[in-house]
Amino acid sequence: MRILLDKFSKSFGSTKVIEDMNLEVASGEMLALLGPSGCGKSTTLFAVCGIHRPTSGRILFGDRDVTNLPSQERNVGVVFQSYALYPHMTVEENIGFPLMVKRAAAPDIKKQVAAIAALVHIDNLLDRRPSQLSGGQQQRVALARALIRRPDVLLLDEPLANLDAKLRLEMRSEIRRLQRETGITAILVTHDQVEAMSMCDRIAIMKSGEIVQIATPSAMYNDPRTSFVAGFLGNPPISFIKGTAFQGAFVSGDGHLKVPLAALSGISDDTPLTLGVRPEHFGTGGDIAVEGRIVFAETQGRENLYDVALPDGSVLRSIQPVRNDIKPGDQVRWMLGSDAAFIFAENGQRL
Amino acid sequence: MRTSRTLGLFMIAPASIMIFLFFLMPVVLTAIFAMTNMSTATGISGGAWQVTQAAVNRLKTDLPELADGIAEPRFIIDEEGLKELETLKLKPGFAAELRAEHMGEVYPSRREAERVIKALKDRPSTREVKQISDLFNRSVLNTRFETRDELMANLKKLGFDLTPQQQDIVARATYTGWIWTTDNFRIISSSPDMAQIFFNTAFYVSVTLLLFNVGYALFLALTTHYMQASTASVFRAIWLLPRITPVVIYVLLWKWLTWDSGFISTFMSQFGYPPKNYLLDTAYNAWFFVILINGFIGASMGMLVFSSAIKAIPQTQFHASEVDGASRLQQIRYIILPQLRWPILFVTCYQTLSLLASFNEILLSTRGGPGKATEVWSLAAFHTALNNYTGNLEYGLGAAMALVLVVVGIILSLIYLRIFRYDTLISKPLIED
Repeated sequence: MRILLDKFSKSFGSTKVIEDMNLEVASGEMLALLGPSGCGKSTTLFAVCGIHRPTSGRILFGDRDVTNLPSQERNVGVVFQSYALYPHMTVEENIGFPLMVKRAAAPDIKKQVAAIAALVHIDNLLDRRPSQLSGGQQQRVALARALIRRPDVLLLDEPLANLDAKLRLEMRSEIRRLQRETGITAILVTHDQVEAMSMCDRIAIMKSGEIVQIATPSAMYNDPRTSFVAGFLGNPPISFIKGTAFQGAFVSGDGHLKVPLAALSGISDDTPLTLGVRPEHFGTGGDIAVEGRIVFAETQGRENLYDVALPDGSVLRSIQPVRNDIKPGDQVRWMLGSDAAFIFAENGQRL
Repeated sequence: MRTSRTLGLFMIAPASIMIFLFFLMPVVLTAIFAMTNMSTATGISGGAWQVTQAAVNRLKTDLPELADGIAEPRFIIDEEGLKELETLKLKPGFAAELRAEHMGEVYPSRREAERVIKALKDRPSTREVKQISDLFNRSVLNTRFETRDELMANLKKLGFDLTPQQQDIVARATYTGWIWTTDNFRIISSSPDMAQIFFNTAFYVSVTLLLFNVGYALFLALTTHYMQASTASVFRAIWLLPRITPVVIYVLLWKWLTWDSGFISTFMSQFGYPPKNYLLDTAYNAWFFVILINGFIGASMGMLVFSSAIKAIPQTQFHASEVDGASRLQQIRYIILPQLRWPILFVTCYQTLSLLASFNEILLSTRGGPGKATEVWSLAAFHTALNNYTGNLEYGLGAAMALVLVVVGIILSLIYLRIFRYDTLISKPLIED
């Protein structure tokens, strides 16, 4: 079911968290709300599920206006960051709770709980209590509880934040599998760009209560609209170098680095600019030579990560297949791919 | 290691002494007193043997002849009496003739003794007959004997030859000090008055507990939970007032309300009802106010405990249950109440014990009246042992009643732990991964 936020605004007292936000999630789509803490992504999610009421604007599920409906009547499933399992109930009672409060028949509840528990692979844990489960198992119970009443919308509030790294990887694909199998429209709130990129069809990246860009993960990675988006996506992150425009080229602060860029034609000289270079576009391949000194080296197993300090003090990051010939302190002369570099105006807009 | 253990014992010693002196000793002493018949009449030190009218009455069932006999005056012509007669400076012939003719004779009644005296050769006047006969009166009635043997010797002198069993019965009936006995418990279990007081107590404790200390407290906690924080704290503060007001002033306010010149009377007189004391008017009214007075004090504690317990439930559980479709009532029924099991157990247990033991509000308001309508167990124990209208304070019986209260409290606590399945509340989680 399609979700539409129309000029949605939310303020707490005099604090405006979100103003005039428009967002559409297509039916069956999984969308990530990605942003740093305090950007309003959880507030948006809570407004969609009805825990918070919008200050103004409309929220539509399909064509149904749910803006003023209490959460009980919205038919949404929510997985909370802390899972919010009921500690005094068994796993079976937890999962069956949404049906129980609807006064469904007991045998019917039992049957549906068994089916959904099998779907999330916890059918052997039904008699346990939440305190007797591991984090990953609790996570699955929370998912099952959110899914059991076939909600129109599945909302996930940082569902993986409390899991350890290995489990996080496993649950990432697990949640995506369930979402695909059930064909449910889902919104995932996260501050982890890897999670957002790997799990979702589209990403809406938020900053200070506004959506900066909505795009598919690869489009957003390759074509960020602002320096904020470029900086948020990618691990290891992009590196930025301050400089100015000069005759259709970017020139770093001390003039050492000069990158001619097509996007800069028609930009007047001495306009302050920021150059963004992803670590994979700086290294052995490229068209512009950059000299610098290795200040930091880190191996990640398959790849090595190097920080190269330029003469003016700015740092370029490089990721390369493992090599043992370079150590911190070495002078290097590596190549930068100018066609893959991003150029941003002073206000962060990409040119 | 050893030194630190000794140090620990040393550090805890003052507390242990305090606990022993002020917690254990009173219970032990209560148990000891409960096994005696101590009262104002017996005193708390030893007693003596005295044939009082009460003792005679007690003897009437077992030894009716003896009881009748010792109640009567007894006249014996003995050397002691004769010597006193000689000092009276009456005619010397009286003493001489009595010694010669009647020495050792026993007369069961004054009439018989006086007939013999009247028949003396020296012809005593009627006044002298009376005077003389008094000297030979050897009744044990109201005479105090310091030892049992002394009593028995005197009885023997009076011609009562008693078997050892009979001696035991007489000794028991005439002893004025306290004795070891289990009679207190027999009285408690068989007296209809005690049964009435027991019923009063059960009624008072269960109704106050159910309606106010737990029920109303729960209602306040739940309603304030769904209020705005500022409104909720105003409500909670109002309901704390009865608890923080000194109890004497608090009860006095209730008395002002219910006196025959108080608020209710004044208000009702507007509608033509004559003024009356609404508090002590009928047993029904007295109970009504006693339960309100205690309930309003008791509700505040439960309210605080339950409110903080509800606050301790993570906010996301409320969010989750709303999203899951639970209405407020379902939220209360399925999310809040199950998680308040332990606080409810605590408040029920604690308030049962404090309601059982406390009587100050009742004492200050109705004094157990009208009649004995609102007399509860602890108040009855207080009245019996420490503040009695007749003036005979029965420490032994009062202690026995207090002991019953302690036992009832312990039994109820165990039952509560059972009902609320305490063992599951403290069970260990089985985390595995």
